Amino acid sequence: MTLSVNMTTLELPLSRLRPGQQATVLRVGGRGPARRRFMEMGFVRGETVKVERLAPLGDPIEYCIKGYHISLRRRDADEILVSPLPTGCYE
Amino acid sequence: MSKFTIALAGNPNAGKSTIFNALTGLRQHTGNWPGKTVDRKVGTAHWNGYQLAFVDLPGTYSLTAYSPDEIVARDFLVDEHPDAVICVVDATNLERNLYLVIQLLELGVPVALALNMSDQARAKGLTIDTAKLSQRLGDIPVVPTTASRGEGLDQLLAATVDFIKASETPSCECGCQKAQPFQIQYADEVEASLTALSADLSTISTTHQAAINGYSPRWLALKLLEGERDIVQRLEATPETKPLAQAASATSAKLANHFGDDVDIITADYRYSAVSDIARQVTQAATARQLSLSDRLDRFLTNRLLGLPIFMTVMYLIFRLVIDVSAPFLDWVDAVINGPIATALSQLLTLLRAPAWLDSLVIDGIVAGVGGILTFVPGLVVLFFFLALLEDSGYMARAAFVMDRFMQLIGLHGKSVIPLMLGFGCAVPAIYATRTISSRRDRLLTALLIPFMSCSARLPVYVVFALAFFGAHASTVIWLMYVAGVIFAVLVGFVFSRTVLRPEEDAAFVLELPPYRMPTLRSLLLHTWENTRGFIKNAGTVILAVSIVLWFLLNLPAGVSSQQDSYYGRLSQAISPALAPAGFDGWETSGALITGFIAKELVVSTLAQVYTGVDAVEATAADPLSQQLGDAIIGFGEAGLDAGRTLLSLLPGLNLTEDTSPEDTSLSQALRQHFSPLSALAFLVFVLLYIPCMATIGAIKQEFGARWATASAVYQTAFAWLIAVLVYQGGLWLALA
Repeated sequence: MTLSVNMTTLELPLSRLRPGQQATVLRVGGRGPARRRFMEMGFVRGETVKVERLAPLGDPIEYCIKGYHISLRRRDADEILVSPLPTGCYE
Repeated sequence: MSKFTIALAGNPNAGKSTIFNALTGLRQHTGNWPGKTVDRKVGTAHWNGYQLAFVDLPGTYSLTAYSPDEIVARDFLVDEHPDAVICVVDATNLERNLYLVIQLLELGVPVALALNMSDQARAKGLTIDTAKLSQRLGDIPVVPTTASRGEGLDQLLAATVDFIKASETPSCECGCQKAQPFQIQYADEVEASLTALSADLSTISTTHQAAINGYSPRWLALKLLEGERDIVQRLEATPETKPLAQAASATSAKLANHFGDDVDIITADYRYSAVSDIARQVTQAATARQLSLSDRLDRFLTNRLLGLPIFMTVMYLIFRLVIDVSAPFLDWVDAVINGPIATALSQLLTLLRAPAWLDSLVIDGIVAGVGGILTFVPGLVVLFFFLALLEDSGYMARAAFVMDRFMQLIGLHGKSVIPLMLGFGCAVPAIYATRTISSRRDRLLTALLIPFMSCSARLPVYVVFALAFFGAHASTVIWLMYVAGVIFAVLVGFVFSRTVLRPEEDAAFVLELPPYRMPTLRSLLLHTWENTRGFIKNAGTVILAVSIVLWFLLNLPAGVSSQQDSYYGRLSQAISPALAPAGFDGWETSGALITGFIAKELVVSTLAQVYTGVDAVEATAADPLSQQLGDAIIGFGEAGLDAGRTLLSLLPGLNLTEDTSPEDTSLSQALRQHFSPLSALAFLVFVLLYIPCMATIGAIKQEFGARWATASAVYQTAFAWLIAVLVYQGGLWLALA
């Protein structure tokens, strides 16, 4: 793993994380109803999200948030800005 | 006897329908919500001398009214004032589930909590302090349940009924106070605006009840600040309340400016932090969390390499089960209807000295029609059972996950893939399978594309024509028909999703992947029963009606002797000129296409009948009734054996069933006299694309209404004609060039 020191302050779209990586939600963008839906499903500021796996065709992507599993399309995960956490602290 | 109405609310996958089924059993009926196509399920139960009516609200994550499901749920709660709402909460996923609970409490409805899947929460090492949870939510009843085993349901009803009775008695004057209702404290600026707005709203609510009927002023003020379209529109509708809506929108904009984000996002944030606080305070988790069985299953079932092959295998198995296991029973149903039942009715009619035409109407029209309905039933029972199994076990969500990327091509999402694949078996169950899709637009588009999948009834048509005209290339031609169907589906899906059926605004595809669960047999059987009954009741009527109409067409005008002179023959002749540009213009072919509307495989038997004079269906009416009854009973046993044998032969390496490939050379010769290879190809394309069979139309009508059923029939026939003409004329032009 080549994780740089300033990784914690980095802002990335959620879709850019690799399976197994964890991150903190910073901001949820996107169109009105979709944005609202992400928030209702638990993508709120400060929440920890983990990338579980990619679907066989690379899209959608399965995440774990608030202790349950959810799949988002890559295009939708682009709208969620996160800050990656150093790997290896859980599980 | 006291009567109470209790609504059931909850997140999808929280076990709401399991609780509903456990409480009401078979005493339930399904209808539609007024003006909506969302299913409305109502069931009743007698409990300790109370008569309880349960209304199963659609499963939702929230009550924000962005989807028809949410609007239906909210309107019911506000307009019909249920005595209580039982909110079913997944105890293993408390935090996200509480979000809906909070919204229900904010709406001001009396809520009781069913803390469901308590056994799984315990197994996960989660302990939930129910007393504390109840207290934090404003002293509402909180009852742990395990609905799959029926545990806690009695306590749930007891607590709910007590709760209803307590809220009916006016608060006592002796100093004791009712609990403070639950309320979220928003940011100071938001609270200030809420107070001001709700003061204005409460002055107006007396004069203009209609616009804001039933909602509390604080809740209305909150929704106005959040800019919720549905509520804003209600207030803008009358001139008296319009200024209020405008003032609220100005305040909302100011607040958004202040916080640097939309008000609805700010309030959702507050709600979630309140929920997180409560969840943290009442839950104790055991420290070490192992990889659950569900996670381990997913490593395999949704694996990047194995996910697709596994999905294909699952689909193939279901496909085989629906077709093969039900086939012996199908033959049996067919034999019983046309054997003992037809004979008995015929004998009864003879006894009553009924005229011959009445006998023919009953036997060839009505009994044949009922038989037409019932022959679908064995396959549907098997299918509905396995669909419920896929859905309840959690695999359905995985199938959608695995196939989503592929389905995006035609403007749909992963959940449409199962109905579409089932379409290769039979379009009727496939259309019912769209029920697992939550958005109506997606369901409808899927249903409209299903008929393009070559169903098993079209295979005999392909086989007979391909063998007669394309000899060594027959299998290629058959395969091409299947591929052509998929290509047309992709094309039509692409066009529809950009024209008449655009994706809904909330296009984000958010799919929960619930943990795998062992479904209960009771729930599987209930789903199967409910869906099968729905088919017989609804699609059945269409099938019966069409069969009777066809009988009249064949037998009128009175005393008609040959098919060609009947109304059926005349209708076929009237149609045939229209089909001439596609290369097949005989009245026999258009007649075969008409009977193909009854069932596609009839195209072959009709052509066989008119060209060669051989009736494809052999009569069994000669045996006496008693013998036929005996045969029917033995037949049922044999059907069971056959089904078992087929089940076993699904195992690799075992083959207990013999393959049969019928050949009909006299029909082939006759066909070659009436068709050229090119017109045969055009005919096959037409059969692939034209009007779905009447059972499919019946299913579409049941699910989406008569308008879409008609639309489907018309556009597919027009499309079929166009493509068949293109094939024929294009082929002629190529041959000339």
